[in-house]
Amino acid sequence: MTLAFVGGTHRTVPLPLREQLAFSAEQAAEALARFRDRFPGREGVLLSTCNRVELYAAGESDSAPPPREQLVLFLAECRGIDAGLLAPVLSGESDEAVVRHLFSVAAGLDSMVLGEPQIVAQVKQAWAIAQESRTTGPLTSEMFQAALRTAKRVATETALGRERLSIPSIAVTDFVSGVFERLDDKKVLLIGAGKMARETLRYLREAGARDVTIVNRTIERAQSLAAELRARPTTFDRLVTELAATDLVVSTTGATEPVITADFYRPVEEARGGRPLVILDLAIPRDFDPAIGDRPDVWLYSIDDLGRTCEANRKSREKQMPAAVVIIEEETRRFMGDLHHRWSGPVIEQLRAGWSETGDTELERLFRRLPDLGEAARAEIRQSFQRYAAKMLHLPLTSLRAESHAGPPHGLLDALKRLFDLKE
Amino acid sequence: MLDFVSRISVVCFAASYAVALACEASRLLFRSGVRGAVMVGFAAAGLVAHTAFLLWRAASEGAVPLSSPFDWYLLAAWVLAAGSLALTLATPRTPIGLFMLPVVLALIGAATLSSREPFPQTPATQVWGMIHGSLNLAASLAVAAGAIAAVMWLFQAGRLARKQAPKRGFRMPSLERLFETTRHAMTVAAWTAAAGFTSGIILNAVNKQRGLLETVPWTDPVVLRMGMLVSWLIVAAVIARVVKQRPGGARTIVWLSLVSFAVLTGSILWGLFGDTRHGVPPVSPPAINEVAA
Repeated sequence: MTLAFVGGTHRTVPLPLREQLAFSAEQAAEALARFRDRFPGREGVLLSTCNRVELYAAGESDSAPPPREQLVLFLAECRGIDAGLLAPVLSGESDEAVVRHLFSVAAGLDSMVLGEPQIVAQVKQAWAIAQESRTTGPLTSEMFQAALRTAKRVATETALGRERLSIPSIAVTDFVSGVFERLDDKKVLLIGAGKMARETLRYLREAGARDVTIVNRTIERAQSLAAELRARPTTFDRLVTELAATDLVVSTTGATEPVITADFYRPVEEARGGRPLVILDLAIPRDFDPAIGDRPDVWLYSIDDLGRTCEANRKSREKQMPAAVVIIEEETRRFMGDLHHRWSGPVIEQLRAGWSETGDTELERLFRRLPDLGEAARAEIRQSFQRYAAKMLHLPLTSLRAESHAGPPHGLLDALKRLFDLKE
Repeated sequence: MLDFVSRISVVCFAASYAVALACEASRLLFRSGVRGAVMVGFAAAGLVAHTAFLLWRAASEGAVPLSSPFDWYLLAAWVLAAGSLALTLATPRTPIGLFMLPVVLALIGAATLSSREPFPQTPATQVWGMIHGSLNLAASLAVAAGAIAAVMWLFQAGRLARKQAPKRGFRMPSLERLFETTRHAMTVAAWTAAAGFTSGIILNAVNKQRGLLETVPWTDPVVLRMGMLVSWLIVAAVIARVVKQRPGGARTIVWLSLVSFAVLTGSILWGLFGDTRHGVPPVSPPAINEVAA
């Protein structure tokens, strides 16, 4: 065994246990320092996100990675959890399965939201922490670089990560930006400030929105929210004035009846003077009478309207899964082929050195017998010998590489060692 | 090289633009990684051939741009094709060619149906002739640009009203930008068309005063259609200014822009198939023996 991992995800580990098991960046660095002392000569990387905690270990020959039980025990000790609780919920893999798993994780195929892009940054961060903690080595280094390369291929060659899946991001990117060219000169009005409104505001801020007003039933609540969200507070009695002046409304009140009826909106329309108004009604039940959406210059989107786009995008992503899996398999095969080929390295070195040494001896003998040869002729003969040696070695090396794709080429290596009397 | 350039025909660049348009239209049907490069390649090849053709005509036949109806239409098509290519390169995900290239092809079609006979001019009227032609060209291009933006506005507004997400690789500009383009194009069209018409009157007066060339009567179909177009563009610009601040004003302005384009198209068709003295060489006085006969 060269590679190993143990870990659990949102699918296998219950939330309370996952919360106990999670590592912050500092805790991960401490755990890896402990890993270095506990398993000297082994490589280790710890990936901890909201939805997963995974420990990757690697080592060669006499420094083979620790078995699953030891890795589970190590994680349990690091977090002060009873190993008996962790063992049944953490899965473990070795060698090729580890590579396939990491590549799938990095490409977002194993994420709660299929194809989510944040995981790439999290894998990079885990890798960086391991590097700082000096628990990386050639195996994990190549494996994580290959994982990031695979994630990039999946992102560019499939449409897996292209469609957005969150309602606020769809609202801002697909609809608000379809109406407005820029947001830095627009007025944004938040009616209520539920979780969805806050997330939408984050996207709006990223898109350039600066002028934000919060309307709430009570001015105290509006003031505290405004301080938190860097906005201007105002009260409900100014709603008509604010609606008349705003360009974009995000509404998430907990009202059981529409807050803005068609009659309420009529004077607002008069006062607006034909300026377009985008309304993101993210409340359930809705805050805006749907009839307002039929008025000229009004673009009204309810949570259901945006949810339909979300669902269509989710289905579209799922269609991309087979293409992504093909890439994962290709990259896993390539990585394993290269890994197996590493086993051949010392044998190839010895073969080359042996042929080179024999060639040099023969050349010296030849040049002694032909002392009249000029420098140019000697160089020509030397090159011919080198070419001959390279050509003679080409076929065995190609066979070795081809054999490596199917697994460690132990048979061929033994044969070469015996045929050419190579040392271990 | 010169031999190669001399063999470039209208069909060469029209075909290149048509292929680029087909590539743009295929965005609606399927995704492709190489389509963008193919589309830009054909549009650029068309533009290079188009440029070479105009330069060759200027060099070999003394047909400077705007010197004949044929060259006038081809120059208008060239400006729009260059604009389309530049916008495609600047915003690759916006299918701008889908809306601009049909107009380019229509102008090339109009060129092939129009006269290659140079407009009569003398050194004294050349400057006014150039001003008149350039202003009319600017007005026509402004109307076309406004109409293209208006069609895109309707397309985008339709998608937003149906609450559909944009298709992948088919992202339209915002309604705000399209509306501003339409509105400004209408204003520019009204001003340049009025100035173009005025410069035509001055050109006619210079011809009449100096007895240089035959003058165009007020009842000539070209004068009538240009008068109609100018009047409509001014009225449309005024209406646009008035309705801008009213509910539904944006949609009204978009439709006004499309009507302007329809009036321009009607005017061009009238020019192509109508009888006129505009831009026609003066009739030579009959020879003495013909009179005697």
